[in-house]
Amino acid sequence: MFRSVLGKVVTETVRVHRCLKHAPLTLRVGPSAVSVRGFADVKDEARPPFDTSVLEFLVCPLSKKPLRYEADTNELINEELGIAYPIIDGIPNMIPQEARLIQKDTDTSTTPAQE
Amino acid sequence: MAAPMRQLVRSVIRLSHRNVNVTAAGVSGRSGCCWGTPSCRCFSDDRSTHFGFETVPEEEKAKRVYKVFENVAQKYDVMNDAMSLGIHRLWKDTLLHVMHPQPGARLLDVAGGTGDIAFRFLEYVRSQQERQKRRATRSMQTPSWQDISNNYSTEDEEGPQESRAVVCDINKEMLKVGKQKADSMGISSGLSWVVGDAEELPFDDDQFDIYTIAFGIRNVTHIDQALQEALRVLKPGGRFMCLEFSKVTNPLLARLYDAYSFQMIPVLGEVIAGDWKSYQYLVESIRKFPDQEEFKHMIEDAGFYCVQYLNFTGGVVALHSGFKL
Repeated sequence: MFRSVLGKVVTETVRVHRCLKHAPLTLRVGPSAVSVRGFADVKDEARPPFDTSVLEFLVCPLSKKPLRYEADTNELINEELGIAYPIIDGIPNMIPQEARLIQKDTDTSTTPAQE
Repeated sequence: MAAPMRQLVRSVIRLSHRNVNVTAAGVSGRSGCCWGTPSCRCFSDDRSTHFGFETVPEEEKAKRVYKVFENVAQKYDVMNDAMSLGIHRLWKDTLLHVMHPQPGARLLDVAGGTGDIAFRFLEYVRSQQERQKRRATRSMQTPSWQDISNNYSTEDEEGPQESRAVVCDINKEMLKVGKQKADSMGISSGLSWVVGDAEELPFDDDQFDIYTIAFGIRNVTHIDQALQEALRVLKPGGRFMCLEFSKVTNPLLARLYDAYSFQMIPVLGEVIAGDWKSYQYLVESIRKFPDQEEFKHMIEDAGFYCVQYLNFTGGVVALHSGFKL
């Protein structure tokens, strides 16, 4: 009994579901396109402002040391380890794997590779 | 090439950290070797864990959980209402009532995703502030000239009473949805969004009054590490609160709950969100999570005191609470 009711619900919503399936696709394309543009064209795009008050307690997850906000590249820099965490849409991304190694600091980038 | 380098940097730093922290940490049977040889995590991935009823290597679990929430982010709130018949709102409201935050409190909501707890927190402290103001004015019905002039000068002073909520989640999509919600509700002050890993929080020690994790801890690969981090970022006297699906004790209710979980929820997931597998993972992960007593012991092992739990809806959901003393 339950399954027949469910069957009716499913068939009636199939049409709606088909429309729904297309909608999330377009939704997904939208934000990613904006963020790609934002990354490439930093100066021309109107970025959402980054709230620097969070820097009071935000630290690098690896070394637990405070970070420096770099307005030009819109990143949070850990000088000691030479890594930069990106800020996307005003939200800082503090995942170590997504951090960028700052290339000028060659000592920290070569010694781990030699090990 | 960059990724293994990062892992090595991480393990070096973690080694120095672990030597300091290892005495304070309790060892739960499942992850005993993790404390002894932290570097082995990077080199040998044959330690496995559960992803729902499947057994997967640990590294894979995090990726798969990320994919699940990336897929469901847009429909997350709608699905919550559909699956729990709106009862999840009552669970979250009760969490806030038990928490009873005072104005000026700082909240860290981990795995906070779409921000449900953070929004409720801010609303709660704001109404608390109103209530306190009203109480203060009521008790000063016939003030002296001195009191009136003092009131005028302190009316704009929001600083000492400023509450802050920080929402931390490993998934960018969930945070995006949450931020959109905040913008549409017009909430901006006192709310921050950070992408971060619960096992490696990007926050300094002794920062927060309250740490909450609602329906998120079962998705974390190393629960004990998340508990350790929670202990670290809380201020002394701070409270850890975890809302999570748990074991239903009543056998009749358990059977109904199982039938509902395995037959209704994935179907709802398919119909509303177009994703059967993610919701199959959801109900399976609930079954794999430790029960109330075992989780209570895990929290105690991490170093929390006065650990207790409350069952909601007959044990479908449990609220665990502990203090950092």
